[in-house]
Amino acid sequence: MKKESSRNDWSGKSRGGALGYLSFVFIIKTFGVTAAYVLLSIVVIYFIPFAPKATSSVWYFSRKILGKGRFDSLIFLYKNYFSLGISLIDKTAVASGKSDEFHFEFNEPDGVQKILNNKSGAIIIGAHFGNWEAGAPFFDKYGKEMRVVMMNAEYRKIKEILDKQKKAESFKVIPLSDDMFSNIFEIRSALENGAYVAIQGDRLTQGTKSETVTFMGANAPFPKGPFVLAARLAAPVVFYYAVRTGFKRYCFHFTLCPGCGADSKVKGLENKILQEYVKSLENVVKIAPEQWYNYYKFWL
Amino acid sequence: MIDSALIEKINSVLSEEFEVDIEMLKPDALLMETLDLDSLDLVDMVVLIEHNFGFTVMAKDFVGIKSFDDFYHFINSRINEKGEFPK
Repeated sequence: MKKESSRNDWSGKSRGGALGYLSFVFIIKTFGVTAAYVLLSIVVIYFIPFAPKATSSVWYFSRKILGKGRFDSLIFLYKNYFSLGISLIDKTAVASGKSDEFHFEFNEPDGVQKILNNKSGAIIIGAHFGNWEAGAPFFDKYGKEMRVVMMNAEYRKIKEILDKQKKAESFKVIPLSDDMFSNIFEIRSALENGAYVAIQGDRLTQGTKSETVTFMGANAPFPKGPFVLAARLAAPVVFYYAVRTGFKRYCFHFTLCPGCGADSKVKGLENKILQEYVKSLENVVKIAPEQWYNYYKFWL
Repeated sequence: MIDSALIEKINSVLSEEFEVDIEMLKPDALLMETLDLDSLDLVDMVVLIEHNFGFTVMAKDFVGIKSFDDFYHFINSRINEKGEFPK
C-alpha cells in the first residue's frame, strides 16, 4: 500500500542545544552522574510549558493511549522528561568510560546469540525508546562493527556536539539520504562485511511512505523504509531495546524476527517484519511507558 | 541490437512487479514515471534485477537511465559482460 506521510511528522531535528548538552557533560565529568540527575530534576520542569508540541504528544499518549487521569498524566509528563534526561546523562557517562558504575542485564534468547555470534552481518531494529546507546559498547563483545542509520539532521547535531568535545563517534553513521535508494548499497556493503546495521523503526519523517498498524490499541503509521530494507537485504533481523530498570540499571531486550533473512523475495515480508517489530515494541513499552520518546503526533 | 526475447522478459518482470499494464512499457517511455517509482521502489528494482538477471547492481549504474530503451541497453550490456542469457 502506497501512502505518503503528510501528518505532523518528525523533521529529523531534536530539541535542545549543544551548549545545554555540553553543560551536562561538564557536570557529569566534574561532579558525577548523581549530581547531574539532581540538576536534571529541576531543569525538566522548564520543558513542560516551554516544549508545547512535545508536552502535547506526551499528554495524548498518557490520556488517550494509556488511559491515565489528569493528575497521573501530569506526573507521567514529568517522569517522561526526567527519564529522557537520565538516558542522555547515562549514555554520556557510558561513552565517557563510566560503564563500571552501571548494572546491565541481558534478555537475550539463544537464537539471538547465534545470530550475533555469526560471522555474517545483521540488521538491528530499535526505537526511540529507552536508551539503546547505553548498550552500543556491548555489541563490541561480538567483535563487530556497528553502523547506525540516522537522519541527516540528527547526525549533524551529534557531530556538532562531538566536534566541540573533540571526540570521535563510538560507532559509524550512515546518514540517511532523502532518497533511501543510495543507502541500500552502503547498508548492503556493511552487512557483507559482517557489520551490524542499526536502524530505528518507529519514527515517520516528512514525505516518507508509511504503513498503518495497531500499536498500543490505536492506529499508528510506521515508516516502511526500514522494513523494506530489512526484507530486501535478506539479512537476519534482531529487535533491540535498552530499558532502564532502576538507578543506573538497564536491561537489554533482544528479540529475533522469525523467518527473516531467508529469502528476500517472499511477498509481503516487510509487513511481517513490521508486525513482529510492533509486537516486540509493545512488550517493552508496556514495561516502561515513560521511556517512550516520540515527541510528535504519533497516533492517527 | 537487443534480443527481443530479452526485452519481453524485462517488460514481463517489470509489469508483474510494479503492477503496470505491459502495453505501457514502450522503449521511448520514461521508466520512473511509467512505473510510478519512488526511492523505495528502486530498492525493489535492485533486488529484481539481481534475482532475474543474475548480476549485482550499484547506485552509479542507474545514472543516465531515463527511458525503457536506456534500461534495456543497461541490462543487455551487463548480460553481455557476463556472457550468458538469463533463464
